[in-house]
Amino acid sequence: MTMKKFLEVKEADTLATLRSFLKGLLEKEIIEALLVPLEAPSGDTVMPALVKEPARLEKANPLAPVMPVNAARLVSSLTIGKPREKIGALLRSCEIRALIELVKLQQAHLENLMIIGIDCLGTYEVTDYAKLISEDRSPTMELVREAKEGALFPHEGYQFRSACRICEYPMPQDAALTIGLLGVDGEKILIEAQEELAGRLELTEGEATGREEVIRKLVGARIEERDRIFAQFRERVVDMPSLLAQFSTCIRCHNCTVACPICYCKECLFRTSTFEHESDRYLRWAQRKGAIQMPTDTLLFQLTRLNHMVTSCVGCGMCESACPSDIPLTTIFRAVGQEVQAMFDYLPGRSLEDELPLATFKEDELTELGER
Amino acid sequence: MGPRIGVYVCHCGVNIAATVDVEAVTRFAQGLPSVAIARDYTYMCSDPGQALIKEDIEKFGLTKVVVASCSPMMHEPTFRGTIQEAGLNPYCLEMANIREQCSWVHGEKDKATRKAIQLVAAAVGKAFLLEPLEERRADVTPAALVIGGGIAGMQAALDIAKAGFLVYLVEKEPRLGGHLAQLGKTFPNLESVTPLLSKAIEEVEGHPNIDLLTSAEVVGVEGYIGNFKVKVTDRTTRRELKVGTIVVATGYDLFDAQLKPEYGYGVYEKVITGLEFERLVSSSGPGEGEILVKGKEPQDVVFIQCVGSRDKSVGQEYCSRICCMYTAKQAFLVKEMLPQARVTVLYMDVRAYGKGFEEFYDQVRGEGVIYRRGNPSEIYKKGERLVIRAEDTLLGEPIQLEADLVVLATGITPRRDSLKIANLLKLPRSADGFFMEAHPKLRPVDTVMNGVYLAGCCQGPKDIPDTVAQAKAAAASAMAPLCQGQVKVEAVTSIIDEELCSGCGICAEVCVYDALSLHERKGVMTINEVLCKGCGACAVACPSKAIKLSHFTPTQILAQVDALV
Repeated sequence: MTMKKFLEVKEADTLATLRSFLKGLLEKEIIEALLVPLEAPSGDTVMPALVKEPARLEKANPLAPVMPVNAARLVSSLTIGKPREKIGALLRSCEIRALIELVKLQQAHLENLMIIGIDCLGTYEVTDYAKLISEDRSPTMELVREAKEGALFPHEGYQFRSACRICEYPMPQDAALTIGLLGVDGEKILIEAQEELAGRLELTEGEATGREEVIRKLVGARIEERDRIFAQFRERVVDMPSLLAQFSTCIRCHNCTVACPICYCKECLFRTSTFEHESDRYLRWAQRKGAIQMPTDTLLFQLTRLNHMVTSCVGCGMCESACPSDIPLTTIFRAVGQEVQAMFDYLPGRSLEDELPLATFKEDELTELGER
Repeated sequence: MGPRIGVYVCHCGVNIAATVDVEAVTRFAQGLPSVAIARDYTYMCSDPGQALIKEDIEKFGLTKVVVASCSPMMHEPTFRGTIQEAGLNPYCLEMANIREQCSWVHGEKDKATRKAIQLVAAAVGKAFLLEPLEERRADVTPAALVIGGGIAGMQAALDIAKAGFLVYLVEKEPRLGGHLAQLGKTFPNLESVTPLLSKAIEEVEGHPNIDLLTSAEVVGVEGYIGNFKVKVTDRTTRRELKVGTIVVATGYDLFDAQLKPEYGYGVYEKVITGLEFERLVSSSGPGEGEILVKGKEPQDVVFIQCVGSRDKSVGQEYCSRICCMYTAKQAFLVKEMLPQARVTVLYMDVRAYGKGFEEFYDQVRGEGVIYRRGNPSEIYKKGERLVIRAEDTLLGEPIQLEADLVVLATGITPRRDSLKIANLLKLPRSADGFFMEAHPKLRPVDTVMNGVYLAGCCQGPKDIPDTVAQAKAAAASAMAPLCQGQVKVEAVTSIIDEELCSGCGICAEVCVYDALSLHERKGVMTINEVLCKGCGACAVACPSKAIKLSHFTPTQILAQVDALV
């Protein structure tokens, strides 16, 4: 049975309380290693680290509203070879959902893994977060204060990443241990866990009566924004040429494939010699069409990636954050994803039970697309 | 030295030559790089045509051959054989389909010729890159499995057993005989079924080479031609059988007459199906050899044909083939047993196509059975009797008949559990739901699954002689690999690049032949080349392009595309 308990915030310092709670997980040997964001030496960003020594958690900051990497990718590296020690991974919803997709794609394993989910209050682009720090503002604590009411506003003059602005999943799911901030009085942190685990943690009783309502309102606002963005997109993108126009600035740097937690090929076909053509070939193409855009194959690359990822895309938006050409990848993948996923009644990251649509053949499916 | 390619453009009589300027195509081919010789000929597949290719291989030292003719479905095996006889690897052949995909579907000679030229250019482009492939062989377990103990299954099992091979005959019911055991007399010769059937059952039960498993079901099939592993269970035990080939003879279900509510089947006791009629007239039936409906002899009997056949409204488009004749037989029996009864058959068309059928149909009408064209719209009860309303479509007027007994000629449908067998054996089904043969004309008992053959109504409706004939054909086909002791294995298979494979398993999900599995330690997929049919589905599904299909490699296909665009 899942228990809802509380962690008392000591000396009004949520972060310090959380750090010592995480330390406890290692010290009590509930887990033997923890994947968690640590503050970088520069102090203006965080990077995930695999921590064995509890003292190193002095620098842990799972609350920082910045996400340089979707950690599902790292969990894949950690678990694909089936770890012998129990690893804890502190993850946001989009990371957990991406992880579930990776498990289905046999790129990660859940054995010997404890997922610690945490409410996500939104994230800034890495550069914006660094700027906020340099301006001596406190991006973490301001958001934590707003979490109780669920009215999460970015700092003046800044915006959350576009993916976060339309994210319907501020709270984690499928976690063995959930750390809740939304709708919770600032003097407490909500901890959800199975009875046996909860019993081993020093927690107090209490209630977070407003949490569901706060989340409902927050999600409602995000959905409204999402639908507005999607509507704009669908007005702008009505046919193949207008879809292709979205990708026109792609330079095929492949940053998106590296940033995407789910793009899992060992070697992307687009980075192989298959796409290094003979001079003659380029010239022949140019001859036939009058002119060809260089680098070539950008549309094929983008459409292939869309085709491969669209059913499993959890909308974390890391691709867009990584794109040097500011292609609105989040909107494209999410808006196209919404339609494709609905077609297969598939929600990426929802459950391990849902079969990957592209790996499932049903005789009576999409019959309207071909002769019966 | 680069490849030396020979190009052979076939006229196919006038099939190609009338629409495509074959000489122009040949001239074009002659000008392509690496083409040593290009020729056209009336029938490339004829002996002189093939001889031409063989001579040229010798004379010009050809290393690759392109034949521009019909679909490879038709003659690829022929020409592979041709070049093999002349000492080339059979996979050094490429075909350009300028008949089905060109001359047959186009009218304008100019455009058709241009397309044929492009198709030939693409084929030459690919031929340039073709690589010889090794044909492999696998040993065969000298035993067969027959699924289904109706007349088809029994006949197939007997033939294989008599040839000296072990046969496992699996029947779901406790007894052999299938639907045949429920029939009284055959058409058109009115022979009693019982002695025929008992003889067959006795023979099957007594044959030392037949291992009979009744009340048993096949629950798992693994492996491939020559080496199938089949799991069979009855209520208590589970056995694993090893067989080389499999004959599927799972039979049929009858159309559920309740799906035509206007006929009142299941509502009125006096509306029965043809199969129920068999029991009604049987000497072991309720009337002990007399036709009695509620204890009385019927005065008016109406037969209705095409119930669940040729009827799009219930999703049964096809003709069930047996109903016209079993109705004629049953009408005849009524006349024979109750000469004073009025017997009417309502029909759409009478299809008396078989040996002795038309003669029998004539005889039945001669006995006084009235045939009226038109299927009824409604049957309702009036007192103790039934009223049938119909339109006589020959006279163009409505008719109303009264009857004491209505017999519905229900058609044959695929078994309701046929999907289960289809999934177990990876058998495709045709649009009507019956198991699909590999080719409707030339391979009517084979399936696309090598080593699996079809017999009887599981492949489509048929009468007893056709079923027995097909069973004997399936048995002969199933015996061929058993006699050979070895089978050829498709040389075109998928190849996995372990460097690129991430082991995601999407390929395994799309493979209907279960040829792919994850290598646990390496974390990459591996392929069972004997199971692989070279369909290429995995190569398409693989997002990492870690799978390529030999004989259809990306470079080969891109060379074709390059030649086309």
